[in-house]
Amino acid sequence: MNLWLGLLVGFKEIWAHKFRSILTMLGVILGVASLLSMFSLTAGIAKGMREYMQQVGGIERVGVIPQEPPEEQQLFADTSPGRTVKDAESIERSAPLVASVTPVSILAGCAIHRGPMTIRGEVDGCWPSFVEINKHNVALGRNLCDLDLEDAKRVCVIGKVIVDRLWPETPNYNPLGETILLNNRPFTIVGVFEYYERDQDKRRRELGLDKAKATPAPPRKKSSRTSRAAPPTANIPFLAKNSTIIVPISTMFFEFKSASVVGGVDQGPTLKLDALTFQVADINRFQEAIQQVRRILHETHRTVEDFTFDTREEMFDAIEQNIHETRMSGGLIAGISLLVGGIGIMNIMLASITERIREIGVRRAVGAKARDIFVQIVVESAVIGFIGGLLGLIASAGMMQLLIAISPGKNAPVVELENVLISFGFAVVIGVLSGLYPAWKASRLDPIEALRYG
Amino acid sequence: MPLIELTDVVKRYKIGEQEILALDGINLIIEQGEYAAIIGPSGSGKSTLMHLLGCLDTPTSGRMLIDGIDVSRASGNKLSEMRNQKIGFVFQSFNLLPKMTVLQNVELPMIYAGVSARERRERALVAIERVDLQNRARNTPLQLSGGQMQRVAIARALVNNPRIVFADEPTGNLDSKTGANILQLFRELSTGGCTIVLVTHDAKIAAQTPRRIEIRDGKIVDAAAMDPVLSGAAPLPLPA
Repeated sequence: MNLWLGLLVGFKEIWAHKFRSILTMLGVILGVASLLSMFSLTAGIAKGMREYMQQVGGIERVGVIPQEPPEEQQLFADTSPGRTVKDAESIERSAPLVASVTPVSILAGCAIHRGPMTIRGEVDGCWPSFVEINKHNVALGRNLCDLDLEDAKRVCVIGKVIVDRLWPETPNYNPLGETILLNNRPFTIVGVFEYYERDQDKRRRELGLDKAKATPAPPRKKSSRTSRAAPPTANIPFLAKNSTIIVPISTMFFEFKSASVVGGVDQGPTLKLDALTFQVADINRFQEAIQQVRRILHETHRTVEDFTFDTREEMFDAIEQNIHETRMSGGLIAGISLLVGGIGIMNIMLASITERIREIGVRRAVGAKARDIFVQIVVESAVIGFIGGLLGLIASAGMMQLLIAISPGKNAPVVELENVLISFGFAVVIGVLSGLYPAWKASRLDPIEALRYG
Repeated sequence: MPLIELTDVVKRYKIGEQEILALDGINLIIEQGEYAAIIGPSGSGKSTLMHLLGCLDTPTSGRMLIDGIDVSRASGNKLSEMRNQKIGFVFQSFNLLPKMTVLQNVELPMIYAGVSARERRERALVAIERVDLQNRARNTPLQLSGGQMQRVAIARALVNNPRIVFADEPTGNLDSKTGANILQLFRELSTGGCTIVLVTHDAKIAAQTPRRIEIRDGKIVDAAAMDPVLSGAAPLPLPA
């Protein structure tokens, strides 16, 4: 008996007992639906996390951060100048495995004025490569350039949220050429970064789905000074990035860091950096690149090990681990429900063969081998798994909507082909497995006994 | 070469602790083209004999040749093959699959013979025509009368061109008129060259066949000696 015929017999048998078959399949349907929903929800969370990690610079972004020098170096630790622009220059010159590097000097809590508007924010003094390393994109105007740096020009590139907050009356204002005051010093806006958001938010916005939500903003503005401008809360991961203001680091030093008055006494200029970040050129030679930078900094820091590296490897690993664990535990629970579905199939198949003992006897009498009977029962059971799997995939669409409605997460579920295939394949496998025992029982029936039965 | 040759065939069953001797040294030859009846009261062993001849079972001891093939120690698969290729069955209770149409029921043996779908259909239709049911091919068995159902069963038994057809009380579930029709059909098939063995407890039916094999207590009784009984001239002796 060929497989095609077996399938046909299986479908017929199921069709002949529609209601019973649907009840049997229900377990598989729910199992597949919850498996796929689970997979898709975790895939959605994973996608959100990865997008965010990518937005903040990806794994190739490494920070040089200060650390307490080891004890044996404490005596001469003061000889190290700490992180300076010179470090960045040395790395740029001598580390071929580093794609780009930027020193960063931060002015925190800077007052930003535009006409009547005042907001507070952080200003980063940096090199033009800051944009590349931190995965920024200039949407309007231009990035900082070497000439700005050389001449210590008072220019800045600002984030979209800053623009919205300074010009709340005009949405999508183009502020190029406008002058704003940073701690009362005039700066010309030469560029605006693009608006960063998650793919799904972008899609929603483009489809106009968020308009209804965004317009009736809660009336919690207390003063006109600190205006709204916080974008929809869903975008919190990107708020900091959207609020970036960068100026040339030379300008930063001249304008804001040339003196630091503590208790009425000028302590002199602050030339130490607040951050030193670089981007590894080839992620496969990550450790090598780190070693290269380490040797250079060893030189510039006069062998004092007062620095270390803030790589995101661990963070990435932790996130991936997390995703994996969520997926596994969720999959396990959903898998159990699919298993229960399988037990249901086995139960029905056992009942079905008892009902059909005589049919089995007739088939044996006209020449069916034990193997043929075995195949027939397994195929019928597999067909239940197959149809249940298909219906389960359809049901999962509804189940995902239900899950989203019950617990609205920030990440939309992502249906991946691989997960669809796994869930569906699992259903078919369960169908086959739960048919094995009934099929074995059926195939062992003695033809004479079976013919006499009933 | 005889079609069927049994030498000292013994069949024992074990039911719990008790051993039952169902067939006790059967020697039997059935030739190609014969029309015979195996007759005996219930419990005589005639059903067991038919199961052995029909390759549904193997003997405990003795030798059994069917169409020259020794099946006394054959495996389950070999027996299935024999049933499929060489043997046709007609049962008292028809044993048609109720969810399938007449055509599909008749096609069933060919499915296990690996016949292509197209050839299956053609041969099934020919067989259905042979039993005069061509206008019922698309009906299911439940829509047919008893006589029609038995004709479908006969078509199914013939469709793989078997060497021999066994009919186990083929008229037992039919009224006498329909039963006579079925027996008429068997006679016609026999005239056409089929080897047919009826299994029955009914002497009147057995009387219609040229050869009667009477079996009692697991042994074949000399057929010639039983003739007067079989012809209905004397009352059938009761089993001991």
